[in-house]
Amino acid sequence: MEDVQVVAMLVRRCIAGDAAAWEEIVHTYNRRIYNICYRFAGSGNDAEDLTQEVFIKMYRTLPSYDHTKGAFVTWVTTITRNLLVDHFRKTKQDRMTDSMDATSSEHEDSQPLSEQIQDQSAPPDARVRSREVSETVHAALVKLSPELREAVILRDLQDMDYKEIAQVLKVPEGTVKSRINRGRAELARLLQRTYRQVM
Amino acid sequence: MPDHTSKDQTSNGMQCNEFDALLMDAIDGVLSGTQLHRFQVHAGSCKACGPLLAEAEAGRDWLKGLTEVEPPASLVTNILASTTGVDTQRLRATVRTPQPRISWLERAQAWLFGSLEPVWATVRQPRFAMSFGMAFFALSVGLTVVGVKPADLAQISLRPAAIRHMYYSTRAQIVRRVDNVRLVYQVQAYVREFKRNVAPAEPGPAKTKDKKNDTTQQPEQKQERNYSQTENHLILASAPLGPFLHDLPVVSVTTYRRLS
Repeated sequence: MEDVQVVAMLVRRCIAGDAAAWEEIVHTYNRRIYNICYRFAGSGNDAEDLTQEVFIKMYRTLPSYDHTKGAFVTWVTTITRNLLVDHFRKTKQDRMTDSMDATSSEHEDSQPLSEQIQDQSAPPDARVRSREVSETVHAALVKLSPELREAVILRDLQDMDYKEIAQVLKVPEGTVKSRINRGRAELARLLQRTYRQVM
Repeated sequence: MPDHTSKDQTSNGMQCNEFDALLMDAIDGVLSGTQLHRFQVHAGSCKACGPLLAEAEAGRDWLKGLTEVEPPASLVTNILASTTGVDTQRLRATVRTPQPRISWLERAQAWLFGSLEPVWATVRQPRFAMSFGMAFFALSVGLTVVGVKPADLAQISLRPAAIRHMYYSTRAQIVRRVDNVRLVYQVQAYVREFKRNVAPAEPGPAKTKDKKNDTTQQPEQKQERNYSQTENHLILASAPLGPFLHDLPVVSVTTYRRLS
């Protein structure tokens, strides 16, 4: 995904105070980090704030990056994941009051999950329908436990291999595979249950 | 985790634990041969593992439908403002257009030419040609008079002691040359002669000293009387001009002509 030497050079330039190099890093990774944050936090506003926090943390800890220990993208994802876990712990109390039908994102319509699924076939436009399905899946994804959610996001949405995920999550590869399987299965059960409910 | 029964765990020679371990490989499509066959047989016969495989595949398919979300347009700007704290519109333009590598020598030349260009544009006008010619001539004559030769420049040592030695020897040489110029002697002689011609009206230093040491506070009558008694004609009093003029006594002279 990334040329190690090119990224290492970019990081060195950035540490040396090259603002253009830092801006290049921001341009390269902001989309990826934002998507991880958005899928994990569920909210666009939270994702934006978290993405900024990730980059601030990255900017401060950039000299600690060692390209011999792993890819830069893995390092970036580790920072993102750690910050997301911290954020999850801080906002745990707020989420405990949420129900499955609560709206989790401003990207979605202001409807509960069951209504979104009910309306799935209503719009004639396939594009609109596809968007609504995505929002429904996103709403279900946010309801997964954080351990399963992060594993599923990194594997199925960020296309990371098991080794990299194990490095980011600091767990064995077997555990990573198990979590991904359980996360996928849990997501499917969640969507099926909701679908049966609205039927 | 599915609730496995002891019967399911051993069906078709594969246990549910082994099925769990192979589940990811099976979904990824890396299982083959006998292992794949045993996996499929177990999935078809085990009441717990079969639905687990179906759910995992369904979940993966759901997630495949999720597309990447577009970040807000202001995100990059906000990130840069919160990290570097500067407006990077200018930098953004430079980042997107790849620039060729420029060596430090070319960069230095570009900077030098860029900063000297306005001056050079003024200087290279024809009306300044004669001025520069004269300046060059004066410089070369000056260097020749001082004794500087271009060939000597290559032999100059830049050690501090050598520089100090060169400074003092050059200074001594210049002083010696100036002092030995005949013109200087002649000018000095003219000055001395001129001073001598002017000197007779100058009050002597002893008088000045006496005056300075005079503590009697008496007026200058004594001197006035001397002038009136000895001379019967008009006397012109003069005082030397110079920086110590204010130290000289003020003399009032009155002359009386006898009409006998």
